[in-house]
Amino acid sequence: MKRLLPILMGAALGLAAATSALAIERGGAMTFARYDDSTVIDPVYADRNPDLWMVTGLYETLLRNGPDGSILPGLAEGYDVAADGLSIKLKLRDGLKFSDGSALTGADVVFSLDRARNPELGPWAGLLGAVDKVSADGNQVTLTLKNPDPTIVSILATFNTGIMPKAAFEKAAGANDPEKARAFFEAGPVTSGPFTMKSRVQGSSMTFERNPNYWRPGTDGKPLPYLDQVDFVIIPDDATRILKLQAGEVDAAEFIPFARVGELGADPALKMELFPSTRIVYAPINTRETLKDGSKNPLADVKVRQALNYATDKNILIKLVTFDTGKPMTSLMSAATQLHYGPEPLYPYNPEKAKQLLDEAGLGGGFEVKFTTLAGSADDATLFTALQQMWSPLGVNLKVEQVDNPTRGEKNRSGDFDIHTYGWANDVNDPAQVTGWLGYYKQRQAVGTGWNNAEFNTLFEASNVEVDPAKRKDEYKKMQEIYAADAPLLFLFETPFAVAVSKSIEGYVQTPLGANDFAEAWRAK
Amino acid sequence: MPSLSYLLARLLQIIPTFLLVMIFIFLLVRLLPGDPAIAMAEAKATDAQLEQIRHNLGLDQPLPIQFLVFVKNTLTGDLGRSIMLKAPVTEIILARLPTTIFLALYSVLLAICLAGPLAFLAASRVNRPVDVAIRSVFQVGLSMPVFYIGLVLLTVLAAQLRWFPVGGYGTGFLDNLHHLILPALSVALYTSAIILRNLRASLIEVLDADYVQFARAKGLSRRIVMTRHVLRNALVSTVTLLGLSIGNLMSGTLVTETVFAVPGVGRLMLEAIFARDYPLIQGLTLTFAVIVSVVFLLTDIVQSWLDPRLRQS
Repeated sequence: MKRLLPILMGAALGLAAATSALAIERGGAMTFARYDDSTVIDPVYADRNPDLWMVTGLYETLLRNGPDGSILPGLAEGYDVAADGLSIKLKLRDGLKFSDGSALTGADVVFSLDRARNPELGPWAGLLGAVDKVSADGNQVTLTLKNPDPTIVSILATFNTGIMPKAAFEKAAGANDPEKARAFFEAGPVTSGPFTMKSRVQGSSMTFERNPNYWRPGTDGKPLPYLDQVDFVIIPDDATRILKLQAGEVDAAEFIPFARVGELGADPALKMELFPSTRIVYAPINTRETLKDGSKNPLADVKVRQALNYATDKNILIKLVTFDTGKPMTSLMSAATQLHYGPEPLYPYNPEKAKQLLDEAGLGGGFEVKFTTLAGSADDATLFTALQQMWSPLGVNLKVEQVDNPTRGEKNRSGDFDIHTYGWANDVNDPAQVTGWLGYYKQRQAVGTGWNNAEFNTLFEASNVEVDPAKRKDEYKKMQEIYAADAPLLFLFETPFAVAVSKSIEGYVQTPLGANDFAEAWRAK
Repeated sequence: MPSLSYLLARLLQIIPTFLLVMIFIFLLVRLLPGDPAIAMAEAKATDAQLEQIRHNLGLDQPLPIQFLVFVKNTLTGDLGRSIMLKAPVTEIILARLPTTIFLALYSVLLAICLAGPLAFLAASRVNRPVDVAIRSVFQVGLSMPVFYIGLVLLTVLAAQLRWFPVGGYGTGFLDNLHHLILPALSVALYTSAIILRNLRASLIEVLDADYVQFARAKGLSRRIVMTRHVLRNALVSTVTLLGLSIGNLMSGTLVTETVFAVPGVGRLMLEAIFARDYPLIQGLTLTFAVIVSVVFLLTDIVQSWLDPRLRQS
């Protein structure tokens, strides 16, 4: 438990400083305009961002992600990983209660974690793949592992391990778990997080109400959250969502297009928040020797991929697409990700070097590349036009192909592309998820690029069972260096989460993983 | 009124329409690249997980089998479960449909109220300044896309003047009238432009017809000439147009409901397509087909009531 002490002290000091600056006011409601509705907010079944970014508002995890990426205590006071890395012990706080007043016990934890790791149920079970058994003795919870897993602590702070009430869930109507989950949610679920759901109209609105039994104290010593209620309205159209905010009908609007950030920042009634995120915008490059149509693939040559990266002026793209809110990628993962290594932006703009690399690859005479973009996406259209201009002096003839999202996914899966646009945000406060997705061949053929690097793969496998943090850090450094040098991606940029908030609201946060955190939000009267 | 046998024949014609719609939509959604599994687990699932999802959804079955299951279930009133919303399709559609129908009727009503009197005014003063003014204004309405009219109305009337709420949906009848006025108006402006043009033209034609001259010469009152002779004849083609435009309106709701954040079936259709939610797309298409068929049937009935000659054919 002792490893949490310095973090706790730091947090306490930070809170003390914050209290003196701002006198928090309790009560009231805020209205939040969303771009899309949730379907079933269930830790296990959440599979779209509008669901999983809401889960921790309703279900508290044993551990929590701190604002700086550290792991803080949650329902558990702390954790203790055995020296051999094969078990982890956690002690629940005393007197924990669900929103309906019933006691939150070890049995609920066993129920929730067993559900979370059942591969028959949700898409996230693999995150708990190393767990062999979860048991509880009073307030003591023990996870026994099949093999050491350095990610397990982060997973216990991830939405899919949120703690649900065993008794209330099992009482819900339905013949099987998916039906029960829906009935339980629709009825206004019993929750362990800062809020509970008061009402909901599918596709239109949803209301979160303060959970009076939430454990975590605010800066005034009384339990969080400060707000009595959060109302959500669903407004898919960007322009309408912003109008609604400007008309004062809502207190915050998420997913502000970057083109509007400057304008809203200048509005005296609003704060334009650019929350640091783990979101990256990149373009997978097909690295296979032959393309889907059987022709030879020039992009299979690492020199060509490096050349395209050098020929891309990221600073101009950041200006054009993100209106200077983004920053260049320094690694395969965002700088906000744990174990990130990237001392400087990858492939600074250098057209001479690009030309030289293409000459060395024997492609000085030019060639054709197809760039697949999302139809209707203004950002993708800008990206294509800019790249076409940047690359044409090298003799690279860039052609566009516009498709919708599922079609792009299909093309990625079947390797039927040259280069296409893509984006990613981490769901777990650990680098293994993004690294496995982007680089590990056996998982998804390295984000569909077909890049299969034996050294990288071996390092990734080793890092997933490495219990020594220093060694794991070193493995991650090596993997990021290999990946950057081999360039299976066109490295583009990182973007923040842009949320415009009324000046009367304080303390709302969108975390680097995307989660909407209203626990410490309050309204100035 | 039209005879019972006429109605029955019209109803029977609907059956092959539905069958064609079912086959068409079943094949069409499956011809789209990508499938629900990919749309669902877009970035994060492994290939093995995708196979599992396809298996769970029955998408690994051969197409003819999937079609038979679809037809069998539809005939028993079961439209399946939405992949995206994880709930029965029938339940979802029934929850969202009243909103769209409300919006559609509201905008048709507004369109008629706008176009009707103005068409009379224009037709009675052909090529005079009033007529030209009315026609020019509505020509603008016709040449702007509905989403653009919507955004202009939102910016001016809602965000700046704050007369109306910016999008969303109310609770209760009066609140809905208030909330939906801008989306209804932006659709109505477009529809009324079409109706106005057509009604004005027919009115001019009818007003000039021999039987109207004769009726006037007979010394019938102006009111009787207008209702019994002019309006009844001029309305025949306008009613057809109105019926067709309600069909168009259903597809127009895809755009309007998204711009105005109205939780109806139009926006649901758009979301379902992007999610490749086959059961929901199929269910919604059938719903649209039912609505359009019913509207066309009603149009036929009204027409044959207006024009007895149509009952013979």
